[in-house]
Amino acid sequence: MDFTIDKPTQARLERVHALGKNYIRPLGLECDRLGRPLPPDHEYFRMLHKMGMGRTRWRPKKPGEPERKKDTGKPGNTRSTLLVSEEMSYWDRGVAVSGPSPGLGEGPLIAMGTEEQKARFLGPFIDPDRPRWAAFAMTEPGAGSDVAGIRTRCVKDGKHWILNGNKSFSGASSRADWILVWATIDPSLGRDGHRAFIVEKGTPGLGNFHIEKKTGIKGYESTSFVLSDCRVPAENLVGGEDYYTGGKGFKGAMKTFNSTRPMIAAMAVGMARAAVDEAMRFARDNDLLGDVRVRDRLERMHRKVKMCRLLTFKAAWLADHQMPNIVEASMCKALAPQVGMEAASLGMELLGLVGGRGDHMIEKLYRDMKAMDIVEGTGQIQRVVMARQLVGFPN
Amino acid sequence: MIDLDPGEELTLIQDTARKFATEILNPAQRDFEAAREVATDHRAAFAEIGLGALEIPEELGGAGLGAVARITVLEELAAGDAGSAIALDPLGAALYPISELGGESAVEQYCLPLLEQDGARAVLVLADEAHLDIGTQTVSGTIPWVPADRIDLLAILTPEGALLVSDGITLEKLKGSGLRCAGASEIRLDHAPIAAQWQDKAGAARALARARLSAAALLCGVMRTACIYSREYAMDRVAFGKPIAHHQGLAFLIVEMNAALEGARILTQEAASRADQGRSFEVAAAQAFVEAAEQAAYIGPNALQILGGPGFMADLPVEKYMRECRALGLLYGGIDRAREDIGQTYFDCDLPIQLTEVEA
Repeated sequence: MDFTIDKPTQARLERVHALGKNYIRPLGLECDRLGRPLPPDHEYFRMLHKMGMGRTRWRPKKPGEPERKKDTGKPGNTRSTLLVSEEMSYWDRGVAVSGPSPGLGEGPLIAMGTEEQKARFLGPFIDPDRPRWAAFAMTEPGAGSDVAGIRTRCVKDGKHWILNGNKSFSGASSRADWILVWATIDPSLGRDGHRAFIVEKGTPGLGNFHIEKKTGIKGYESTSFVLSDCRVPAENLVGGEDYYTGGKGFKGAMKTFNSTRPMIAAMAVGMARAAVDEAMRFARDNDLLGDVRVRDRLERMHRKVKMCRLLTFKAAWLADHQMPNIVEASMCKALAPQVGMEAASLGMELLGLVGGRGDHMIEKLYRDMKAMDIVEGTGQIQRVVMARQLVGFPN
Repeated sequence: MIDLDPGEELTLIQDTARKFATEILNPAQRDFEAAREVATDHRAAFAEIGLGALEIPEELGGAGLGAVARITVLEELAAGDAGSAIALDPLGAALYPISELGGESAVEQYCLPLLEQDGARAVLVLADEAHLDIGTQTVSGTIPWVPADRIDLLAILTPEGALLVSDGITLEKLKGSGLRCAGASEIRLDHAPIAAQWQDKAGAARALARARLSAAALLCGVMRTACIYSREYAMDRVAFGKPIAHHQGLAFLIVEMNAALEGARILTQEAASRADQGRSFEVAAAQAFVEAAEQAAYIGPNALQILGGPGFMADLPVEKYMRECRALGLLYGGIDRAREDIGQTYFDCDLPIQLTEVEA
């Protein structure tokens, strides 16, 4: 049993630390002040591009190369990836996830897409010529965590599909080369009716992009858009028509969510760490540590954040060894944002009237943190998922 | 790199402890509680499976295992019966001041003889929770409760060091709130001679940290059994047309209780892992203890709540789990002392706070 971090990961974390201190945190504060994300042509994104960030993990098969084994027998790299995400979010979660990348659409495309689709849509992300984004759109105004309830319709029309509906809270979609959009052939079919499409930028009928005004995480673009008689080529149906038998499509989406829950938890842990550190710094600078109540409250936050971090490690370790982690993934996702919220709230309490000014880092964290209990399945959904596993809670 | 695999050896030890706890301790827990001891034949059976003296060095005839093994076994035994887990361990947490401050020679002198005596008990207490009058040669005072009916060796931990007392100990038997299988007594010391004394502030802090880890592990065991018992009841018991576990109010409570246990356990494991790797573990152990004690105070009463009226009756063990969840958290200075030990480190800790160490 070992809870230490290996040296290569630590070296990565130190590089992220420098990036965070010099760029991510100051840019996050700037976005919060201005109330908008960084524009796509911002020099920060060009710098990330030059650093080689924003690339896909997908690689094309070489001619004659046999089918890759999904289980290589080696542990995965989730733990290291989570730690990097945690460190990025420590400095600013919004800016941390705003960088150019194939985004959340990458996972389902790799899992479900044909080799031709992967080459066409992920190929440009292997060695991108400029900062590029792709996006993922599942959530709708009337369907959040209940992803089975999406209403965006898709109807086959010759060599095209026609999509109609509204999507909301889709990250970076206004600047994306393409968006992986989930729609349904018939809402009454529930999960079996789901289909995923790659909708390319400039497709007629894709429009009305609206970057939302949010209470926090302002460094990250959350966008709603409309699909109005949007004609998508049949070859953009992810995986092709044969893929969608027996509810496979929905499972593709849910698989993505399961693998990302510990990731969101790690981000919340990073933000919660920032709240504890800032609260500690404020308490020390203002001679508050002599008060046992202050020490006790800091102790509670310190301990709870560490606990969430370890639970996140556990979920990631299980994933890295291909062991079931449904309960653990939902557990860390349920607890970390809640603990983070408490840490930020405590920080506000320590600030006193300074917290009311609206210009302190902790006040920003207090607003930012709430999003983490909502995205990728709310805290309540995570509890339902755990209850299904622990007591057979009915669907 | 972060690896939660306990390894083959520890898995085998864990399985052995779990089997003993499930087959022997748990079914007899009420009998042991009433008798205030583990039955003789069961004590003999425990001695045979070799789970005693886990942390005694191999050169002295022990297993030479570390803190992770210790907390793993204690959780398993406590899941069967926490009082038995204490009663079956002649040295208990008294081992730690002796090993940390006195070293192997002290372990050989003071601990090994106790391992040879059936039913012998050593007990650890903190001086500042008992208002003891410690002189150069003797110690006097009263300790309101310890989970023991017999004390062969009393280890007293002070902030600066530790001392041992073996004579002049008078016990007044108590009813005890929980852990009755291990006994329950008030200790009275009237100029009891000090058998050994060490001054070593850092060693005393490590000894206290190890004691807190052992208590955290026992708490995890009781919490686990309370969680499982109440969850199984909730899945069987039908009200308003469905198992009560399928009412969201209780389903969410059961989920929260499970998460509370997991959080306490992983903090305990991490602190123990630090100890085994020779890293600083005092703050981590205090955190693990506080988390376990706080969550036990949440899980114990809620486990009973899930059962409702039947839970309040002594026919079922869940009321015992509730008492023991609370009683264990009172040991070794309790929650407040541990929180204060952590809080005192905040005046000069590094920022950002480092939560994890890098591999050696």
